[in-house]
Amino acid sequence: MEIVELLPILAPIIIIEAILAIVALVAWFKTDETNGPKWMWLLLIIFIGVIGPILFFIIGRRQQ
Amino acid sequence: MQWMTIFKKEMLEYWRNFKWIWVPLVFILIAIMDPITTYYLPKILDTVGGLPDGAVFEMPETPPVAALMMSLTELSMFGVLVIVLTSMGLIAGERKSGVAELVLVKPVGYFTYITSKWGATLLLVWVSLIIGLLTSWYYVNLLFGDISFAALLQVIFFYGLWLTLVVSITTFVNTLFRTPGVVGFVSIAILIVMSIFNQIFSNKVTWFPNNLSSHIGDMLDSGTISGDLWGTTFIIILLIISLLFASLLTFRGKEMAN
Repeated sequence: MEIVELLPILAPIIIIEAILAIVALVAWFKTDETNGPKWMWLLLIIFIGVIGPILFFIIGRRQQ
Repeated sequence: MQWMTIFKKEMLEYWRNFKWIWVPLVFILIAIMDPITTYYLPKILDTVGGLPDGAVFEMPETPPVAALMMSLTELSMFGVLVIVLTSMGLIAGERKSGVAELVLVKPVGYFTYITSKWGATLLLVWVSLIIGLLTSWYYVNLLFGDISFAALLQVIFFYGLWLTLVVSITTFVNTLFRTPGVVGFVSIAILIVMSIFNQIFSNKVTWFPNNLSSHIGDMLDSGTISGDLWGTTFIIILLIISLLFASLLTFRGKEMAN
């Protein structure tokens, strides 16, 4: 059993995670104020898959 | 029509803060994660290794219905959490920032204000649920075996009611407190208490809302909609309507007091 055989099934998950991260990056770029240091959120979005972008969407941005 | 105006404003906001992109994506992930890992667990164990040579690991066969129910279980945990966290500022946030006052200065009824925001959240939640369960259904058919499309539609309809109840609870709590964090905390606390109550009394109170998932499972197994499922549905719809009216009363009381 090679890791390659898992790819067709894992690919959609990886693609969805990638889209999430990219959208979060766009949102990160557009926001002026974040809760906490802005660079910290960049690290979270890039290095913590799925959870990082979701956390940023939910609590990262300051309203208005 | 005023209702549509607030509804559209809410939709615009969902586009601007990317909710229309990330909430459906997260629902897909939540829905497919468990069925896929269950199917691939033996292979993943093989690849990662760690088992001694010659170890035989018999995995029990998972029927398709059980696989689809896994999605519902995960959605009941993480999907509900995402819904509460995204809608905890629905009204509370606007009152805190003063937007609510700006809107309500205009001749907008309290009921219009509450139901249009509730409706906007529901649209987002239902679309996400439909996309998530469709993806899960696709994988279940591929990996475990057939479940008819009609059965999936029934699952979406009944389970969507449960998520509608969750949105209604959060909307109601939104009218009670002004801080989104508190709203989120209290809503989750209510849901946890309901789930504990259900674990203790599920045999006696078969129509309790939290029993919905198990009734849906029975429906998938037997192919017929049981009386208990209809009963639970009835209770849930009744609760949703009363929660909306309760929101109206508390919200009006609070706004008058200011």
